[in-house]
Amino acid sequence: MLAYLIRRLFLAILTMWAVSVLSFVIIQLPPGDYITTYIAQMSASGSFVSAQEAEALRQQYGLDKPLYIQYLRWMTLILQGNFGMALEYSRPVAEVIGDRLWLTMVVSVAAILLTWLLALPIGIYSAVRQYSIGDYIATFVGFIGLAVPSFMLALILMYLGFTLLNANIGGLFSDELAEAPWSLAKLWDLTKHLPLPALILGLGGTAQLIRIMRANLLDELGKPYVVTARARGLPERRVILKYPVRVALNPFASTIGYLFPYVVSGSIIVSLVLSLPTVGPLLLKALIAQDMFLAGTIVLLLGVMTVVGTFISDLLLIWIDPRIKFEGR
Amino acid sequence: MAPKRKGMTRREFLREAALATGTLSLAGLTPLPAQAGQAAEPKLGAQLIGKLEGPELVLDPAKWPKKFSEAPMLADLVKQGKLPPVEKRLPEEPMVVKPVHSIGRYGGTWRRGFTGPGDGENGNRIVSMDKILFWDYTGNKVMPCLARDWKVSDDGRVIAILLRKGHKWSDGHPFTADDFIFWYEEVYLNKDLQPTPNPDFMVNGKPGTLRKRDDYTVVFEFPDPNYLFVDILAGSTAMGGGQATQQHFNRTMGAYMPAHYLKQFHAKYVSREEADRKAKAAGFDGWVSYIKNRWDWRLNPELPVLGPWKTVSPINTPTWVLERNPYYYEVDTAGNQLPYIDRISMTLAENLEVLNLRAIAGQYDLQERHTALAKLPVFLENRSKGNYDVRLDPALNGSDATLQTNQAYDADPEIAKWLQTLDFRRALSLGIDRDQLNETFWLGVGTAGSVAPAESLPYSPGPEWRKKWSTYNPKQANEFLDKVGLAKKDGEGYRLRTDGKGRLRLELLTAAGAFIPHTQIAEMIKEQWRKIGIQGDVKEVERSLFFTKIKGNEHQISIWLNDGSEVLYLFPRHALPVDPVEAMLGHPIADWYASGGTKGKEPKDPELKKALELFRTAAGKKTQERYKIAQEIWKIMVDNQFSIGTVGQSPAAMGVRIVSKKLGNIPSRQVNAQHARTPNSSHPATFYFKA
Repeated sequence: MLAYLIRRLFLAILTMWAVSVLSFVIIQLPPGDYITTYIAQMSASGSFVSAQEAEALRQQYGLDKPLYIQYLRWMTLILQGNFGMALEYSRPVAEVIGDRLWLTMVVSVAAILLTWLLALPIGIYSAVRQYSIGDYIATFVGFIGLAVPSFMLALILMYLGFTLLNANIGGLFSDELAEAPWSLAKLWDLTKHLPLPALILGLGGTAQLIRIMRANLLDELGKPYVVTARARGLPERRVILKYPVRVALNPFASTIGYLFPYVVSGSIIVSLVLSLPTVGPLLLKALIAQDMFLAGTIVLLLGVMTVVGTFISDLLLIWIDPRIKFEGR
Repeated sequence: MAPKRKGMTRREFLREAALATGTLSLAGLTPLPAQAGQAAEPKLGAQLIGKLEGPELVLDPAKWPKKFSEAPMLADLVKQGKLPPVEKRLPEEPMVVKPVHSIGRYGGTWRRGFTGPGDGENGNRIVSMDKILFWDYTGNKVMPCLARDWKVSDDGRVIAILLRKGHKWSDGHPFTADDFIFWYEEVYLNKDLQPTPNPDFMVNGKPGTLRKRDDYTVVFEFPDPNYLFVDILAGSTAMGGGQATQQHFNRTMGAYMPAHYLKQFHAKYVSREEADRKAKAAGFDGWVSYIKNRWDWRLNPELPVLGPWKTVSPINTPTWVLERNPYYYEVDTAGNQLPYIDRISMTLAENLEVLNLRAIAGQYDLQERHTALAKLPVFLENRSKGNYDVRLDPALNGSDATLQTNQAYDADPEIAKWLQTLDFRRALSLGIDRDQLNETFWLGVGTAGSVAPAESLPYSPGPEWRKKWSTYNPKQANEFLDKVGLAKKDGEGYRLRTDGKGRLRLELLTAAGAFIPHTQIAEMIKEQWRKIGIQGDVKEVERSLFFTKIKGNEHQISIWLNDGSEVLYLFPRHALPVDPVEAMLGHPIADWYASGGTKGKEPKDPELKKALELFRTAAGKKTQERYKIAQEIWKIMVDNQFSIGTVGQSPAAMGVRIVSKKLGNIPSRQVNAQHARTPNSSHPATFYFKA
């Protein structure tokens, strides 16, 4: 077990390093750099940047140095615990991300919980009452959520919310409380605003989970041990929930790995449309602007999340499925 | 055993589902209006454009108020002894303004939307009364601002600025000529902070100097006549743009800075080690980047400012909040210290759709920035529900979607030849149906025609130049193209290249995500050019790539706005290739111009060269003569169609004003121009909440 852990750790670090190099290179690939984005932005908003200013900025941010020097500079900073300056925000990257990180987690965890809470029971119901009206309706709604692009769904629901319900548009807080310090009222405001984003973010994944659950469970329900359990007189609920469902949960455990980065990046486009202050829009803007440190750090963060998440899901699988053993020599 | 199937088969179910979905989608999930084809009735647009009006300065000291009053929130602080009384806070010679409609009342929070730390202009413009000089509400006449007066020597070499006695920074410290000297000697001449001199502070390539005549008089001196400098100080330029705009995001210009506050961060006043230590402690590389962060009004709430509001919550947070400056130097004619409004609260909209939706929902009190003209029908529909009015402010520039032909293009000699052929360009222009573009993309509210600025401006060459070479005349276009040697066409009617390489294809480069839908406009032009046998290829690229390509001299024809060109001398880059940062008529030509002929490529076209030479002489000429020169330049540009204009003078950029019905002193029409720092020419400090 220890050898396994050590080997995993070593591989993880190697993967992280590879991710950092790759992300740095890829982010830099488009022609131009952050300053060109800045010039374009200024021009499009009725302002302007002079040639001297552009040159001076390039020098100041070290953007005129070759790529590997910029990368080494970034790596040195990270090893000192400093993730660098986010160019557009003029604030340390750690602050910019940190502000949004836990809100991202709240929204994403809410979405994931909603997805699981909806999908698992519906999936079980679908399998048990196969081909009934309930099965069809549930699957249908799930597929709508899957097929409609989530950002369009978000926009439509926002507009409907405004015209029909006079609800606040987008964001996670109402205007008055947005800048207020944390209080019970603000927490309640957050809870009021959470359902819409969580629903939209969650709906897409619901169909997938429903179908997987349904399919797995159908496989299991046909097996002899279920028939035996019924025949032995176990209540129906125990028959289904205690054994087949546990087996059907196997693929969920293995997908927890990619849930972690999802928690952090949280569906970029929907966050953009709903104006949620999460990490998703931050990453998008940083990539477009070629804001090296910010984008690179977020991608690195996602990499760490994925590696950690995969590791946890491996451990989880070992725990719940006794058929899985360590790879022997 | 599989359970017995009840009810419908899967096939039947799918059929029912399809029918249901079809009905649902027809049931009118209210669509946001499509960009094409939804033209408002022409009359509606005209109704929304009001009469140009605005506050006026009272310059006669005899008419100034003798007693002053202040906002209740400040009066409270005075009672508590935290602020001196209002008479001591105002300068001896405050700026006295007659509000456009009435004396206002104090109080309220102005809600606005902004799009992120890159949207500094959103706030910069509102506090632009920190400029040295400014304009009247028409945007045409230079007026006092921070300076109460100015004097130009007869030979135009010496411009003296007279400041206001007793003028104070927002922390109470006096604002004097020393703040100009600090900027000049410790920032502008400091190679660490300003590596290269700025062209705005030069004339004919020679640098100007700044010196102090007394505590309240600052003198700018040039080796050659520089009558243009007064306009430069009034416009939004590196020298005249004011503290907020010219010192945000690492800029170093603006001509003055709060010396008393910044000295603690400057390596000359504290030692370099100390300055660097402070910087590193705050997380910066060194004292240079730290001081640039400290003098940025959007990021540093402690920075003393001179504008009507100062930052309390910085721009790189989800809410950018501004609060009144207790030492602001403007009063109304009844002696009330401005601004009336206590706070401005800008909420972050990650995305333009959300911003527009919030505007529709009435969540903003006054928003003219980022609101889309294409959404006008939806804005109008929800007026009463959102409790706001909609106003349209046409801009003054000739063309919101200008086809700039690259006069230095060399990658394809055949295309380069045609771009430099006069009648070819004229033919392209005559082949554009501008009225159709106007109806589709500007909802009929724009003015179709050439790139020349609005006729109301002194720079305008005259009304006949609006339509010159800028009407829809495919017959004449076809004649021109046949005459220049492109008469041969292929089977589908497209003209062929003369070098035998097939069809003549022109690439139209557009940028994604600008205020105006350039790509769709280009697509429509491409359709229209079929009738004259020209094949257009529309290439849309991401915005910063657009500018990178132009800089790399890769484009044939680029499409962008020509905003700012209405005040030719202050913002020439969209009219002439003079600035290497954005030179759509040819980057090498701009290099040639900016370097004085040592770099880049000389323009091959003698008319273009003439226009550039005329432009170069303008700084040394007096105002009336400068106007004549500008008119000559525009005549050359329109006659030669280097830049082909389509539709302009529209409210598409910053001209769709959503105004809450609760606000007063809102002009029915305001100048929509870059040099007037829209909405600053309407004196935002005079806006007030009626109830």
